[in-house]
Amino acid sequence: MTFPEPILALVAVCLPLLYPAMALRSDWRRVMRYILPVLPLPALLLASCGDPSWQLELPWLLNGGLWALDDLRRLFLLLTAVLWTVAGVYAVGYLAESHIRRFCVCWGLTLAGNLGLTVAVDIGSFYSFFALMTFAGYGLIVHEGTDEAHYAGRVYMAMAVLGEMSILAGLLLAASAADSQLLTDLPAALAQAQQRDLIIALLIAGFGVKAGLPLLHFWLPLAHPVAPTPASAVLSGAMIKAGLLGWLVTLPFGEIGLSGWGALMVAAGAVGALGAAILGVLQHRPKAVLAYSSISQMGLMVLMVGAALADPERAPVLFSVIGLYALHHGLAKGSLFLSAGVSLPASRMGQTMIWILIALPGLSLAGLPFTSGALAKLAMKAGLAEDSLSFALAGCLPPLMTAGAIATLLLVLRYLWTLSAKLETGQTPPMLTAGWLAAVAASLIAFWWMPWDLAGLVKAPVWLPAPYQIWALVWPMLIALALAGLAVLLCRNSRSAALGAKPH
Amino acid sequence: MTLEEWMPVFALMISLVASVGIFALPETGYVRRTSVNLGAAVLKLVVVIVMVWGVFHGVNYGVSFTMLPGVTFVLRADALSMMFAGLSAVLWLLTTIYAVGYLEDSPNRRRFFGFFSLCVASTMGIALAGNLFTFFLFYEILTLSTYPLVVHRGTEKALRAGRTYLIYTLTGGAVLLLAIAWLHSLVGDLSFRDGGHLVDADPDIHRSLILIFILLVAGLGVKAALFPLHGWLPQAMVAPAPVSALLHAVAVVKAGAFGIVRVVYDVYGVEASSDLGLLAPLSWLAAFTILYASTRAIWQVDLKRRLAFSTISQVSYIILGIALAGPLAAVGGLVHLLHQGIMKITLFFCAGNYAETLGIHRIDEMDGAGQRMPGTSLAFTIGAFGMIGAPPLAGFITKWVMGSGALAVNMDWVILVLVGSSLLNAVYFLPIIHRLWFRKGKETWPEERTWGRLETSPWLLWPPLLTAMMVVVSGVFASSQFSPLAWAELIVLREISE
Repeated sequence: MTFPEPILALVAVCLPLLYPAMALRSDWRRVMRYILPVLPLPALLLASCGDPSWQLELPWLLNGGLWALDDLRRLFLLLTAVLWTVAGVYAVGYLAESHIRRFCVCWGLTLAGNLGLTVAVDIGSFYSFFALMTFAGYGLIVHEGTDEAHYAGRVYMAMAVLGEMSILAGLLLAASAADSQLLTDLPAALAQAQQRDLIIALLIAGFGVKAGLPLLHFWLPLAHPVAPTPASAVLSGAMIKAGLLGWLVTLPFGEIGLSGWGALMVAAGAVGALGAAILGVLQHRPKAVLAYSSISQMGLMVLMVGAALADPERAPVLFSVIGLYALHHGLAKGSLFLSAGVSLPASRMGQTMIWILIALPGLSLAGLPFTSGALAKLAMKAGLAEDSLSFALAGCLPPLMTAGAIATLLLVLRYLWTLSAKLETGQTPPMLTAGWLAAVAASLIAFWWMPWDLAGLVKAPVWLPAPYQIWALVWPMLIALALAGLAVLLCRNSRSAALGAKPH
Repeated sequence: MTLEEWMPVFALMISLVASVGIFALPETGYVRRTSVNLGAAVLKLVVVIVMVWGVFHGVNYGVSFTMLPGVTFVLRADALSMMFAGLSAVLWLLTTIYAVGYLEDSPNRRRFFGFFSLCVASTMGIALAGNLFTFFLFYEILTLSTYPLVVHRGTEKALRAGRTYLIYTLTGGAVLLLAIAWLHSLVGDLSFRDGGHLVDADPDIHRSLILIFILLVAGLGVKAALFPLHGWLPQAMVAPAPVSALLHAVAVVKAGAFGIVRVVYDVYGVEASSDLGLLAPLSWLAAFTILYASTRAIWQVDLKRRLAFSTISQVSYIILGIALAGPLAAVGGLVHLLHQGIMKITLFFCAGNYAETLGIHRIDEMDGAGQRMPGTSLAFTIGAFGMIGAPPLAGFITKWVMGSGALAVNMDWVILVLVGSSLLNAVYFLPIIHRLWFRKGKETWPEERTWGRLETSPWLLWPPLLTAMMVVVSGVFASSQFSPLAWAELIVLREISE
């Protein structure tokens, strides 16, 4: 690659950051929407082609800026860029004319924040980009202007501000303990810090708001259904991962074994993964089901975060798996969200095709063989294998993962069920279809060429699981299918019973 | 006299002469008055920039002469002077531009601009004062020259606010005078000096020094609006917007805060103040003021009144930073002298624009104003986020540096104050931003004026846009060589190297 990466990084962040200036000229309003898909392209180039070992020093920035990539950040940058690109294409076809300028401004700023935080290595710019994403994201959530959207926005903002404050206090204490303004110095210093537990609590809670940790998740199922669909996709696919990244780059992984915090996170992950599934299947709106599915999926990632906190030896391996899982989930969830806005063609054949394409990313989430989900699930299983962990709760992890897999598919089925009641036949704007198809393609096909790292957990060739692995993947899915079938039967029965009981 | 002696006199005289000139011109001499005003403001800015450059390179600007035996009049420029003088010069120019647009066609403009220049001249005197006596002189001229501005509208409400203002500030002035005289009788004429004078004070006078310190802070605390001496400030917001802007950002409240910085650093000395046990209570008082005023701000329905309570809270950051007695915390406090100035003046300019253009005074009238006045609302949004302390804006730099400084001297409780204040700021600013951009406006505004394609008069629009840009720039480029942060570090470096 001849193009110097640091300059590309600067362009990647500044393009969406400066794009809102277009709104100053009212006659450029019509053009603004067509630029949405272009905004993440430099970042996409940076993440997919560039050599990840560059550094950009910006000594005049805030408290001294440093931007760089490493393997983990590169995965998050890639996920962010891909998802925002496809969602941008989708948005061109999706957006109505009203307040489009405001939406585009918020979109650009949120994107700039989301991209920037993946390359920021100094605390000042990381926190700045994180806050930019948080505050500008408000504009995406309340865009529709309904009372419901305003309520969701209020809850989002209240929780986000509390989260930001918690992060601010945590980072201040951590930076002071490390006597450094760089994120890379925090984990080691945190392991030794006097106020270690306080700082960890603040950071876990602060980033937990974004990541949808149980009890900090309330904004998620409110905000995702009311936001415009492309915004829900990036909220659930990419922005939620910013909280996860926040944990990964600040907490003392690999430095010290924190079995207490590990156990707490495992418990939180279990509650999230299973509790969200229970609440999720009771939802009636497709995007609300997906929001709970995101909380549930994040719960599985939190399990791994907990294990990595508890076992410093295992942390590097688990980091690879978390990165892989985040990438897989982000792309699949993004495609699912985008499918909520498509219309069905008139022909039978076309309808079947569309339904297959809608369902595949969902089944991938559940671990369907030959999909990215199968790989992610197998890697997670190997990463959390009981005998590889020195951690008291290690024995609970395999059954939790199985339960999580069942929960995942149940939520996907519930999504398809609610969606089938909502989708209508009609014309879909071409850009909208293109964005959605691109998302599905990224999730199902492009994933295999992406630079994920397996740390030797799953044997090659990874796209072809061995028979025993297929069985391991499939039996939880069969249980979920059986449960779903049972639920449908019960519903039918009780409904006909209720009808029969009605006085004529 | 050499050039080094003349420069501070120049800086002071420019606004003074402008004031006299404006009074000499007839009321109807609109063009001449505006030329004198803007010419003087630009000239002063140039002089101040030259002096900043000089002070940076170690030039000693100063002049002194004896008024009475034992009482000298001293003008002197050190790094701290130039911070305040620079703020005053930049914002004077912008506020003058703004005021010209704001007061278009209103009566008594000669009186207004005359006293306005006099007020700016006295802030320059306060910045350059080299001892307590000189400081006091200009401090009182400031009181007298701002009174006519506060009551400018001449309404019943304005006169009442003016009366309250005078009662508070004159009483404060009397207490200050008493304290200065007492201190003078104990230790003689004290010119401001890096590191202070009282480190080796005789233990016998310690008790008197403590009492004098309390009196000094009480006298200065009136203008700095420290709790419980803040009562005049929310009332004084009846003044025209440019006056409020100047009062809240540079002139009055800053003069009080600046005076406290001078007393702690250059009269007593940080070490002596700390040894006498004076700084801890001061920091508690400042912390309480921060949280108390922010809480009060939440319940205000009038935009300018809410901003006034916000000022009370924000100015105490400066005092808190100083009172923590650590170099880094002091940097955080001092840099807020500038940061609060540019943020708050932005907000008041915007409040004035809403009032002048759309007739909006109350917060619940602001629904949808972002659509009608995008430039003003953009500036307001930036100013408000800066106040909340959202990165990467100026307010964040203050909070981050002050927080780090507090931790460096083991004052962990300050983090709670900073976070609490940010939360409260979010509670009273975010709903306004939501109203501006995300609520549907009513069909008509209370009192709308139109300017063709522009949202408002360019005289009113450009000043807040420029100051909002400064809020962004001084945050994002905080670590560059000429940022407010770098200058605050220079001040502290020179203070502690003595």
